[in-house]
Amino acid sequence: MNVNMEKMGALFILAFSIAYGIYAVKIPLIFLSQGEALNARTLPYALSVAGIVISLLIIILPSFDKDKVTTVGEALSGLDWRRTAWLTGLMLVYSLSMPWVGFVIASIFFMAGGVMILGERNFKVILIASIPLVVVLWFLLTKVLGMYIAPGELFYILGGTE
Amino acid sequence: MWEGLWTGMVIGFQTTMIPINIGLVLLGCFVGSFIGMMPGLGPITAVALMIPVTYALDPASGMVLLAGVYYGAIFGGSTCSILINAPGEAATVATAIDGYPMAQQGKPGKALAIAAYSSFSGGTIAVILLMLGAPLMANVAKSFQSSDYFALMVMGLTAVSAFAGPGGFLKALLMTVVGLMLATVGTDQTSGVQRFTFGSMNLLDGLSFIMLAMATFAITEGFLMVLKRQDTTGVFKAKNLASISDLRVTRQEFRKIAPTIGRSSLLGFFIGVLPGAGATLGSFLSYGMEQRLANPEEKKKFGKGSLIGLAAPETGNNAASTGSFIPLLTLGIPGSGTTAVMLGALIAYGIEPGPRMFVERPEVFWAVIMSMYLGNVFLLILNLPLIPYFARLLAVPRNILIPGIIFFSMIGVYLITFNNFDINAMILISVIALVLRLFDFPMAPLLLGFILGGLMEDNLRRSLVIYDGSMSFLWERPISLSINLVTIAFLTSPIIQWLLSHRKRDQSASPDAH
Repeated sequence: MNVNMEKMGALFILAFSIAYGIYAVKIPLIFLSQGEALNARTLPYALSVAGIVISLLIIILPSFDKDKVTTVGEALSGLDWRRTAWLTGLMLVYSLSMPWVGFVIASIFFMAGGVMILGERNFKVILIASIPLVVVLWFLLTKVLGMYIAPGELFYILGGTE
Repeated sequence: MWEGLWTGMVIGFQTTMIPINIGLVLLGCFVGSFIGMMPGLGPITAVALMIPVTYALDPASGMVLLAGVYYGAIFGGSTCSILINAPGEAATVATAIDGYPMAQQGKPGKALAIAAYSSFSGGTIAVILLMLGAPLMANVAKSFQSSDYFALMVMGLTAVSAFAGPGGFLKALLMTVVGLMLATVGTDQTSGVQRFTFGSMNLLDGLSFIMLAMATFAITEGFLMVLKRQDTTGVFKAKNLASISDLRVTRQEFRKIAPTIGRSSLLGFFIGVLPGAGATLGSFLSYGMEQRLANPEEKKKFGKGSLIGLAAPETGNNAASTGSFIPLLTLGIPGSGTTAVMLGALIAYGIEPGPRMFVERPEVFWAVIMSMYLGNVFLLILNLPLIPYFARLLAVPRNILIPGIIFFSMIGVYLITFNNFDINAMILISVIALVLRLFDFPMAPLLLGFILGGLMEDNLRRSLVIYDGSMSFLWERPISLSINLVTIAFLTSPIIQWLLSHRKRDQSASPDAH
């Protein structure tokens, strides 16, 4: 894409500022605060306007250093999107699975999965990078610092009791 | 004044010298050096990663640990810059200009030792200035009212943008506004009205600052390393580790850098005190000053492994980092992204930083200051001999390092609330932050805006109530008026610079110019 990347970023925040302003109108006001100089809507209104004005300035004004302008195509090309997407997916799976399988199992799978996504194929390294780290951390948190970490639904389904 | 200073020092000394706090300073320096040494990871990430650990500690111990992590990370960042020319953050870029050529010339040990001695001297001189300056500033700040605080916060936020230079000014300002927008999410403290919660119970208390810090710095750093296929371990392995062990610096070399250290300490400290300026400006200005003062022969060595060129930014960034604690501790206004994260931690402990903290929680105030002496000594006598071993940490493969950073970030957030909503929100925000960082939008102003947003709105509301809804609070009090004038100067200077540069360019491009 032959679009200047700072303009693209500003366009993105412009859309966010407009959406923010629209939702700011929907902030409920209690009767007494309607006549106040500063109510719950005042700052969001001002921020929305500021966001819109500054993003428009970035979009409209020429870039400060024209020689160093990078296009979106240049900025985003050659990057390892596939691995980053996999890693993001793994983070989501980790977050969603933790209440079910518990901290220890979910964390071991996250670390092992992350190491594998980044290209590690040596099974020994994968195991060393995941199991000892998570077990030691779990031990420190629960046994040394006395934190309570829920074991996960699976633990109870399998008949476990605390 | 001297009596109060002495009492404060005694309180700080007593708090810091208990075994657990000595251990925490040591741990902070060690962990900070380790994280700071990792290419791409700077002090903000290091401090953010350690905050969850501090929740199990009392506020004084927590701050002592975070302060240790902060200067440890700066020290670690310099090591990374010198050895592999990969500065973890902007503050150590100037260190690499002369540090890396020295390492290339077969003197990595000497470069690291000079960096360590300069950091120690800059840090120690700045701590003395901090000790003298902070109580004075806190006493002045006792007369501040809501309108002055509001003006100060606006100035702090504007300064961060102004110091980004004319090219980055609008982008930094826009990110500050986005941070302020995010701060409005949750229940309005005065009216009890819900704002931008979309009916979710999880958003009633607003977004968590630690979640935002992890998302915008730690996780995004991990993502960027994956995206850009960064792997510095190969570069490092190619280097001769044996030459790192030679840490000798001759007496003549010490004599040569001594005046530089003195000047850069003072300059760095005063730059650090300015809200928003921070260590980056401190290091670059110190480097620039020494380059200008150097004799013609020495000037030629700059950029090619000059001892002065290395000592100046190292002293400057450490002195500025220490100086940035003055606005944090006395006014509650962070001077840099890292101190913004520390401000968030203080608020999370239930402490409102500012002149009241100086009176109500002197043990926290003075423990931070006194721990800096200890931290500087630890960094010099323990970390310096350990550099050759620390340097080997640079060889940790990214396959393990990146999942580790992301894992600790997620766990850090989860252990505070035990709520998966925060992790999901963190993933979403990190993806958005990643895109914005790829588009060259800075994240530190966003964090600063987010942390100061709530306090700023409170002070604005109070000012309006005191002045019966009139905006005259902006100019009626001399303190507010002076601060607001400085803010206007901060706002207009990049615009003037921008206009001048365009005019110059137009003139040189026009045919009449030739």
